[in-house]
Amino acid sequence: MNVTITTTAGQTLVVVEGRVDTTNSGEFEKQLAELFKQPQPDIVMDCSEFSYISSSGLRIFLTLQKYVNAHKGKLVVRNMQSAVKEVFDMTGFSNVFTII
Amino acid sequence: MKKNLLIKNEISEISRLATFIEETGEEFGLELPLIMSLNLVLEEAVSNIILYAYPKAMGGEINVTVDRHDNLLVFTITDSGEEFDPTLVPEADITLSADERPIGGLGIYLIKKIMNEVEYQRVEGNNVFTLKKVLND
Repeated sequence: MNVTITTTAGQTLVVVEGRVDTTNSGEFEKQLAELFKQPQPDIVMDCSEFSYISSSGLRIFLTLQKYVNAHKGKLVVRNMQSAVKEVFDMTGFSNVFTII
Repeated sequence: MKKNLLIKNEISEISRLATFIEETGEEFGLELPLIMSLNLVLEEAVSNIILYAYPKAMGGEINVTVDRHDNLLVFTITDSGEEFDPTLVPEADITLSADERPIGGLGIYLIKKIMNEVEYQRVEGNNVFTLKKVLND
């Protein structure tokens, strides 16, 4: 798993690569910590190289969406691979997130 | 055809499940999307055991077997931890909005969604979790 965060002109691009599972979800959460400090987040999450997610990773996505909603921000998830999209579909997360 | 993997009761061991199911899936001639789904099922089942059947981080092992009978895959996950029936874990309500959703309950939901049949038994001091998947041609 690899996370790259870049902020340009008030918008934050988060590129997630690899797998987020039970073994590394704590590390994933730590890497996203700075997003939870933004007063009104405007986040684009690029998932084109993101290949696998389990419930431990979904929890962190949900926590982030809750934070964004509470702070009247924006979160867009883009370029999702079919394996990850399928897990979002099965769990109803596709209705909770803005996926493009 | 039967394959077996014995892992320790530790979160880091979950990485071994991916290799195991990839190799088994290839041998059984399964499609990649199905292999990914089965990887997810095994991870959710095994991480539940590590978290709930062995709450005191006691030693112990978890045995995973996969057996194929024609178009049926049967996974059996056995551990000697405390009695823990994963089928009784409350499932997440997937119709709720982000703000209404509790964090958690998705693991068992995914297992039941992907597999055709799940069954728990307590047998001679062991938890035995059996999961079946019907293969489509």
